[in-house]
Amino acid sequence: MSDSKAKMGYFCSLVPTEIIAAAGYEPVWVKGKAEMTAAADARMYPNMCPYIKSLFTDAAEAGGSAFDGLVFARSCDGVRRLYDVWQAYIPSKFTYMLEVPKNADDLAVTYFAAQLRDFASQMGKASGREVTVPTLRKAIKDANAARSKMRELYNRQSASPLPMAGSELFMQGLAILHGDGAKGITATRKKPVAEGAAAGSRKKTRVMVCGNVMSRPDIFQMIEGSGADVPVADVCTGLRFFERIVDEKGDDPFLSLAEAYLGVPRCSRTAAPAETYARIRDNVNRYDVNGVVLTALKFCDQQLYDIPYLLKKLNDDGIPVLFVENDYVFKDKDRIRTRVEAFVEMLES
Amino acid sequence: MLNKFYTEMKSSLEAAYQQKPRAAIRVTIQLASTFVEAYRADKNVVWTSFYSFPMELLAAFDVTPFDFEIAANLLPTFSADAAVEIMNRAEEVGYSTDICSYHRLAAGCDMLGYMPRADLLLSSSYFCDGKAKTNKTLADRCGKEAITLDIPNKISRESVDYVAGQLRRIAGRIESISGQKLDLERLRECIRVSNRARRAYEQLADLQKVSPFPYIGVPVINMSIFGNMLAGKEIQEQIYLEIVEESRKKIMEGRLTPEKYRVLWLAWFPVQPTVIRQIFRKNGVTIVMGELARNYGGRMDESLPFESLALWCLKNPYVGTIEQRLKGINEIIDEYNLDGVVHFSTDACRHSCAAQKLIGDVMKERNIPYLVLDGDMSDKRKYSPERTEMLLENFIGIMAGRK
Repeated sequence: MSDSKAKMGYFCSLVPTEIIAAAGYEPVWVKGKAEMTAAADARMYPNMCPYIKSLFTDAAEAGGSAFDGLVFARSCDGVRRLYDVWQAYIPSKFTYMLEVPKNADDLAVTYFAAQLRDFASQMGKASGREVTVPTLRKAIKDANAARSKMRELYNRQSASPLPMAGSELFMQGLAILHGDGAKGITATRKKPVAEGAAAGSRKKTRVMVCGNVMSRPDIFQMIEGSGADVPVADVCTGLRFFERIVDEKGDDPFLSLAEAYLGVPRCSRTAAPAETYARIRDNVNRYDVNGVVLTALKFCDQQLYDIPYLLKKLNDDGIPVLFVENDYVFKDKDRIRTRVEAFVEMLES
Repeated sequence: MLNKFYTEMKSSLEAAYQQKPRAAIRVTIQLASTFVEAYRADKNVVWTSFYSFPMELLAAFDVTPFDFEIAANLLPTFSADAAVEIMNRAEEVGYSTDICSYHRLAAGCDMLGYMPRADLLLSSSYFCDGKAKTNKTLADRCGKEAITLDIPNKISRESVDYVAGQLRRIAGRIESISGQKLDLERLRECIRVSNRARRAYEQLADLQKVSPFPYIGVPVINMSIFGNMLAGKEIQEQIYLEIVEESRKKIMEGRLTPEKYRVLWLAWFPVQPTVIRQIFRKNGVTIVMGELARNYGGRMDESLPFESLALWCLKNPYVGTIEQRLKGINEIIDEYNLDGVVHFSTDACRHSCAAQKLIGDVMKERNIPYLVLDGDMSDKRKYSPERTEMLLENFIGIMAGRK
């Protein structure tokens, strides 16, 4: 590999970025930018997750992938099928479909560890830099360090007044995910506790956002604009990403990675709805939350199937909840804002 | 309600069978009988997925299998309105209408208390995410264990071992709910029986190559979905041989319906009443094959029962990348002398529909007329007879133009 800053894109937080980094690539979570997804509607099925359609459209309109390689994962039906159409229609330098088990028991962990060895081997071949145990251990350590810093910031969000506006914290996390790690971490270092947007104010109503993939601060800004705080975003690109810490001392780093990535926190793709609810409930207590905004990407089966269960549980436990489906780019911002404002008003009253 | 529905269905089918003993009726009697049995208090009931679980493993135990998807979704065949009312109940508590109607209907039935007791709930990670998700939710509601048989994307030594390991554990769970130890020799026998049934089925698949087509296409597709309920049981082979016999007799006696166009049906066939069969009959169109209605798994090695069952799952056309599915489609096209291919696009079936354009491109390369027919398996609110008629008439026109 001639360029040491070559970028390897990935779509799902179940892809161990440590292996990508150990192969000398910069791992970049790929954000879909396209708001109109006609290119994807033409090649895929319109009733697909808008994140996936956005990714496909970006690449189709650009005439190919902007990345040096892309890692797909058997995370959901949508990504599986995205891989199919991507292979057929999008010129790409390198693609890899990572096998991620849907279960999380010891059989699944062992199998996943074996898949990760293959993944590392292929990454090494693509980059020309073999993934060795020492390079992988270093990558694990670096990733843990970056995640720990964000995790520390999330931990502080249980305080009141809120140390940092939720929208700001979310965007800092995204900067790390987008491969702008230095910027994200530097920003977090520069941001002392209790100097955030909401610092020093009276105790505000606190709303937690729970969902899956998000790459825009819209929902946070809507909540904050309504006068409430967002201490935490338990989404794939938020708290869940940064809570994952890999054992640095394990005998086999591939096994350690497999255990960490199939272990908690788990999204609704792997977790049973009861586990998802238990996590929401824990975070409600941990972050002293007054209400929950549950949000799901339209057509995201993994999330949508859990919604009735979660709504019932939250209602039974007297935790106010608002469910908002989103189209990833928040085209219908005004409609959602009205609902969010009414929800916050209800919480405050 | 479902219990009553299947009890009545069983009685009327038995009466029909007395009048006209046909293998297709016998299959449906088996289905209704199994569902009725699931309501008996003295039975150990294992909820599962007939079409995506290696049923030979269950056949090795004295348990009653129950498929929540199929059980709920035969209702629209008889009353599409009643099915909508039940789906409404699920939607009222938050099930999005963007979710597959199969699962909204199953969830609604469960909420209304129509389902039988479950002792264990087994599902698989293929075909779709929704099935395993529904399995987990229903398990939580009834306080029982849900297990997802996770099927990886590719066939390798590791993936076979991984799936075989899961199947061994599942056998252990069935042992604990049934109080019955797994008899490995019985499992091997179930696999032998299943192999014989598959050989019988292959005879039928060969007969399907004959034009005019000697059987009826929709039951062929249906059998590939719920016929697997009988895998590992002697009756499966008997029924397949009966169908072969019936078909041969028809050919010998020349009692064949005139056939103008032969089509391959991709994905699912709607269970709610539609105009499809009527239009096909009127225009001499026969569905000669469904993509799942062939023996894609090959012969299983009974000496390695768990590994063989694992391999059967891994070979499913819907497992893995699109290549596996396309390979199967291309093989059918090569073997069955087809005039066209129809992909039924049920509203929320993302795993099958997302590749429909890609399949269309391959059909274009092969110069085979291809139709994406949108509709819905069970939800009449998402089905338009007028649109279906228009699409099919146009498609038939294209096939006619090439004759």
